[in-house]
Amino acid sequence: MLTKFIETMRQRISRPLQYYADICVRCGACVEACHFYVASGNPAHIPAYRMMLVKKLLQQGGNGRGILDWYRETGRIDDQTVTEIRHALWECTGCRRCAVFCPFHLDTGLLVNTGRYALLQEGLGMEMTAEIGNAELSKGEIVDALKEFYVEQVRELEGRLREEWGVPDLRIPVDQAGARVLYVPVVGEHAIIPLAKIFHAAKENWTLSLFTATNHSYFVGDIPKAKQVAHWIVDEARRLGVQVIAYAECGHATRTLLQYFDHWFGEELAGIQRMSVVQLVAQYLAEGRIRVRPGTFTMPLTYHDPCNLGRNAGIYEEPRALIRAVATDFRELTPGRELNWCCGGGGGMIAEPDMLEVRIKAGRPKVEQIQRTGARVVVTACENCKTQLADLSERYGLGWEIKGAVDIVADALVM
Amino acid sequence: MELLAFVFYYITPYIAVVVFFGGLAYRVYRWWKKPPVAAHLSLFPRPQSRLGRLLDTLVDMFTLKGLFRVNKPLWLGGFIMHLGLLFVLVGHIRAFTDFYFLWKLLGWGKEEQYLFSAIAGTTAGTLFTIPLFYLLARRLSGAVKWLSVPEDFFALILLISIALTGFHMRLLHHVEVEELHRFFAGLASFRWQPPPTSTGSSFIYHFAFAQLLMVYFPFSKFTHTIGSVLSKMVARS
Ligand code: HEM
Ligand code: SF4
Ligand code: SF4
Repeated sequence: MLTKFIETMRQRISRPLQYYADICVRCGACVEACHFYVASGNPAHIPAYRMMLVKKLLQQGGNGRGILDWYRETGRIDDQTVTEIRHALWECTGCRRCAVFCPFHLDTGLLVNTGRYALLQEGLGMEMTAEIGNAELSKGEIVDALKEFYVEQVRELEGRLREEWGVPDLRIPVDQAGARVLYVPVVGEHAIIPLAKIFHAAKENWTLSLFTATNHSYFVGDIPKAKQVAHWIVDEARRLGVQVIAYAECGHATRTLLQYFDHWFGEELAGIQRMSVVQLVAQYLAEGRIRVRPGTFTMPLTYHDPCNLGRNAGIYEEPRALIRAVATDFRELTPGRELNWCCGGGGGMIAEPDMLEVRIKAGRPKVEQIQRTGARVVVTACENCKTQLADLSERYGLGWEIKGAVDIVADALVM
Repeated sequence: MELLAFVFYYITPYIAVVVFFGGLAYRVYRWWKKPPVAAHLSLFPRPQSRLGRLLDTLVDMFTLKGLFRVNKPLWLGGFIMHLGLLFVLVGHIRAFTDFYFLWKLLGWGKEEQYLFSAIAGTTAGTLFTIPLFYLLARRLSGAVKWLSVPEDFFALILLISIALTGFHMRLLHHVEVEELHRFFAGLASFRWQPPPTSTGSSFIYHFAFAQLLMVYFPFSKFTHTIGSVLSKMVARS
């Protein structure tokens, strides 16, 4: 049992992962960090326990009866082990809240990422997410064939928005060589509409990417594929000669953009700045390139730091600057910032219908935390968080309005 | 028994030293051999400059401030234990040589030296030992129980054993450091000297447990001593 998992894991274990495995003192400082454990009480959800499980499998040598097996607690691998390892590796959002809690900052997110890939080789779980990853990968090969259809759709949207907003010169450029900014959205109009408005107001020379920012291969730890998917976008940016790649409000994609790209692509990125669109819009606001109506939002409003923008990428101030410009009753969450509770829906779980109940449960600490602020509007800057927060609001009957940080700017924009 | 004592006095110390340093080198080599992760594993916020990040790592190493923020009881136990350990280790320099310079500076004779060592040593030992019992006790219940494997109990009980045999010498005997100096100098130069007698019967146990710790150290979670530096740096990279 789990032989493929063990074999793959042995091959893929990286330097930090190796010393994480060796130095975890099992002190338990990470126990209360994980929303899955706090909500479920299941030991397989304790960050350090996840590591113990993997370590146990890697050390598996004998029949589980020797003195060394007793000492390391490497019992026999049975169905119970398989169940536990599935809980441990799939039910994690990779939020790295536990890494903030751990005195050594052991990165359980990294462990889970590597372990997931190994579990997939065993045929255990999250096939849907892996499939979406494959679709994103093949899109790069057929993008020329898709282009015509896509451009047509965008033209249609453009026409509609011109009428709706009464702005006849509104443009949504696609695949525009010589643009300054390449905006990479996520699937759906909602990721394009507010930016079309803001870019127009800022008189930005921009273009829409033919791709989307999402990278599901990253969720299942298939790093070579994730890199190839990201490479389509780097290629596009170079072909069009842009100076800035701006990613939509999408947590994991932003993390790859800011924390992985220079390792992946190095020199290829020379002269190209990378940022979240939230940072770009905050720049416009700071430079006075756009103007907003202060006090557009007067109801109690809070901001949820997406793990991948906050503690994993350091984007704390920009979204707050946007909020302060348009809202009068902004309430911070406690614990906040790098100690903020994860929404409970990240790590690719949104794509898996089977995992709905798990993530609704894991969202409980988040729900309680937001309820304490009395906020009616919850602003965030990650597609995953938005979906999860909307699901939480519905399932717990909370009636929140969920908004993106760029949405509230678009709402308050002076055209 | 005689033979066993002989082995622990004159044979295994060499093995312990070799295994300790060799083992740690092997551990680091094993880490080095693995491919690095092609990503920044940084946690934010973090200091902007390289120097700032290095300083922050050092401060965190000596104060465990990250742990303080999220778990005060564990911080208190862990911090005092490690602080006591640090003092105890510094104190053990006296087993091999002496703070001659310091004594001269202070103008202290043998009596004062002994009194000072007795007070400082006992205090450091107490700071080290009491939290070990707390760390042991917290493993018996709650979520930390899920995380505790025999290895964890072994580590704590080994440290407690070393501490208690040490206390036995400190509190019930008047140890002559010159005797120890002679003994260890003998070991180091392979010109064996008779074992110390002023230490009473517990010296051989204390010495043997300490050797066991040295042998065990590179192959256990004690490697957090060096690994924590790496992981703390990586989280601030
Ligand atoms: C750079 C040096 C070191 C640092 C930064 C460090 C830090 C830590 C931290 C943060 C913990 C976890 C929380 C706690 O229990 O306080 C821990 C646990 C522990 N440390 Fe260290 N340590 C260091 C060196 C050592 C050394 C040299 C030893 C022993 C020879 C040691 C023995 C232990 C033990 C036994 C535990 C586990 C406590 C338990 O079982 O709960 N440490 N250390
Ligand atoms: S806090 Fe870190 S060292 Fe302690 S048990 Fe958790 S992962 Fe291990
Ligand atoms: S990364 Fe987040 S979800 Fe995963 S174990 Fe750590 S706290 Fe839990």
